[in-house]
Amino acid sequence: MNSIQKKIWTLATIVLFIMAAIWGALTYYNQKTQDQYNDILQRYLRMNEVTSASQHMIASLNNYLLAPTPDNLELLHASKSNIQRAKAEVSELQNVENAFAITSYTNLIDSLVETTDRSLLFQSEKDSEASSDAFDEATRISKYISEMTLTLLDTELKTYDQFYRGIIEQSQELKKTGVLLLLLITFLLLLFTYWFSLSITRPVQKLTLAAKELSRGRFDLQIEVNSNDEISFLAKMFDRMRVNINNLISEIQQKAQLEKELQENKLLLQESQLRSLQSQINPHFLFNTLDTLSKKAYLEGSEETSDLLVSVAGLLRYNLKRLDRSVTLYDEVKVMRQYIDIQRARFTERLRLYADIDDSCLHVQVPGLTLQPIVENAVIHAVEPMEEGGVIWFRIIDGGERVFVEIEDDGPGMTKEKIKQILEEHVVETEGHSTGIGFSNVVKRLRLFYGIDDVMDIQSDGERGTKVILKIPKTRGIDSYDKAPDRG
Amino acid sequence: MRKTVIGILGLLCITLCYFTFVSAEKAFRSDWKLPQPTDAMQSQYRLVLITQELEMPFWKKVGEGAEKQAQQEGASLEVWGSYGNQEDFLKKIEIAIDTKVDGIIVQGLDTESFKNLTKVKAAFHGIPVITVANDVPMSESLRRTYVGSDQYQAGKMIANQLVQDMGTEGTVILLADAHQEYYQKQRVSGIQDVLKSYPNVRTEYAETPDTREQIIATTRDLMNRLPDVDAFIAVNADLAEAMLLEVGRRSQIEPYHIYSFDDGRESLRLMQQGKLDGMIEQSPEMMGQISVDMMLQWLRGETVPLDMNGYLTEIRMLKAMDAQ
Repeated sequence: MNSIQKKIWTLATIVLFIMAAIWGALTYYNQKTQDQYNDILQRYLRMNEVTSASQHMIASLNNYLLAPTPDNLELLHASKSNIQRAKAEVSELQNVENAFAITSYTNLIDSLVETTDRSLLFQSEKDSEASSDAFDEATRISKYISEMTLTLLDTELKTYDQFYRGIIEQSQELKKTGVLLLLLITFLLLLFTYWFSLSITRPVQKLTLAAKELSRGRFDLQIEVNSNDEISFLAKMFDRMRVNINNLISEIQQKAQLEKELQENKLLLQESQLRSLQSQINPHFLFNTLDTLSKKAYLEGSEETSDLLVSVAGLLRYNLKRLDRSVTLYDEVKVMRQYIDIQRARFTERLRLYADIDDSCLHVQVPGLTLQPIVENAVIHAVEPMEEGGVIWFRIIDGGERVFVEIEDDGPGMTKEKIKQILEEHVVETEGHSTGIGFSNVVKRLRLFYGIDDVMDIQSDGERGTKVILKIPKTRGIDSYDKAPDRG
Repeated sequence: MRKTVIGILGLLCITLCYFTFVSAEKAFRSDWKLPQPTDAMQSQYRLVLITQELEMPFWKKVGEGAEKQAQQEGASLEVWGSYGNQEDFLKKIEIAIDTKVDGIIVQGLDTESFKNLTKVKAAFHGIPVITVANDVPMSESLRRTYVGSDQYQAGKMIANQLVQDMGTEGTVILLADAHQEYYQKQRVSGIQDVLKSYPNVRTEYAETPDTREQIIATTRDLMNRLPDVDAFIAVNADLAEAMLLEVGRRSQIEPYHIYSFDDGRESLRLMQQGKLDGMIEQSPEMMGQISVDMMLQWLRGETVPLDMNGYLTEIRMLKAMDAQ
């Protein structure tokens, strides 16, 4: 059975039981009182009956003596049996108080009957005088019976006086009890009903409150209902729902976060594309001009300048072309050498590059223009400001699954904060000039290209020398980078 | 707040409960002392003591003695009677016979109708009759026995006392009522038997109807006739009061020697007031006890027949100074 239903049933049963109990008690009491009243009335009626029966008998006897017909005799016999019956009934009324009186009474009735019989006997023997004497005596006895009835009734009244008063008092007390009982039951029922209704409505109220909180969007409040009925079950389900919704929301939030990151990446991509587009403005004119300049320099006998111009044109071309596509490490190294050639034209002996390249590693794919900005950085920080110039070590080492590309300089080093900034891809304010593609740009592109975070190490004691290690996987994790539109 | 409310409600509840239960207990309790129905009474002997003067201390004592004895013996006894009304008294006897009591103890009444009732009707129904205090001769009443004082002896005692107080010379008025009852005759004969031997004592026997005026008239008449009277004896104790009233009206009471018996309405009071010089005191309680005892003995067949002459109870002379 359901719990709330059970509760209601219990309440109804208790109320019903109380009502039944009271009804039963009252009915029983009423019945008892009624019986007592009946008994009392019976006593009086029976005694009175004897008087009337005796008088009736005398009348019958008189009739018979005056006119001795069988009819009258019949009547006489009838009244005789009547008085016998009355006597039997009266003798039942005997108790300690009136034993003597009742015995006397019944004996008196016997005497009456005997005297009547005697009168009849004398009548049948035609002794009318004796018969009449007996009749007189019977009449006297009948009179005594009447008197004794009155005496008995009087005695009864005295004997039962206390009893009657008790009955009256009790009936008055019963009224009072009834009122008190009504008050008590009303009070108890009100209390019980209040408690009972509370036990139903309180959980509902709690549930309502919880639902309100939920509708306001607070999903973190635990729904707790302490009851043992369906409401508690409902609350439990509700709570589970809340937890589920909570989970769903946090999932959605995570997704949104992801989406946002993706969006950022896209924006970044578009920005770089825009930049590359901008930088493509009329590049051919520039190349052609550079070629012309190179030719002119060659013709004028300045071979060195001509070569330098070719390098610049190559570098520029590469720069514009390769930014958004993968190239081999070999190409990168080549471009890096061209850049060094150009710089060497500027710094002459001050720039010394020592390269140690494992050729077997040159086939790995890298994003375009990854080495040049790092080398440029080294040149700017380690060579340019130094009067005596600087040394740059360039190594490509096969490290098993990865290829390590190390660019080391003997410049003044990098602070820890700066390293952190670079590795966390913050835009670094570049000192001096560069080709525009910064350090952090490289890091970002490498991470995007390989789909892993651990792509670069920067070692520097902050005083002298900086060593940048690119850790390039031999196989690429993702290839989304390639699918970027070619705008070369 | 909540605790206070709960406390108040609880208190209210307890109070209501208490009053309801008290009230209900009162309403439903049924400790009425109803007389117990009984069958045991059937086997008991039902005796009736019938007297003419229910209100008299003397007869009350007889009744008490009888009831005490009856209770001891386990018989049921009722005291019936009249208040000086003979007709009522006789009716009671008749009713007693008609209600078939086992035994009747009755104050003897020396009249025809009484004798008729005891002799004819009681005998017809086989109900034993014992006379108490006042006897009626056996031959006339068919009583089983008599329980009470020896009235003849009482008469003698009072006469002896008189002689002792008054001396052997004087005039004595004996006042009796007109019914000429047996016990009075006995008393008178007792007195006269004693006084006979004193030739100088003159006795005047007078009878009077028993209404107050007539007693007074008779007394006045007697005193007129015998102005030198020395003593009065009220043979019927009931006459003493009215007689004394008349005597007192004439002169001082003190000079007269006045005697009576204790079975009158005013006997004890007169004695205490010192108006009587002497009184025969009987033993009413003993009479009651013995009469019931004898009746039961007869009914049980322990003593059959009972002593015809009766069972005499103690009498003694009570003098004025004893009573005061």
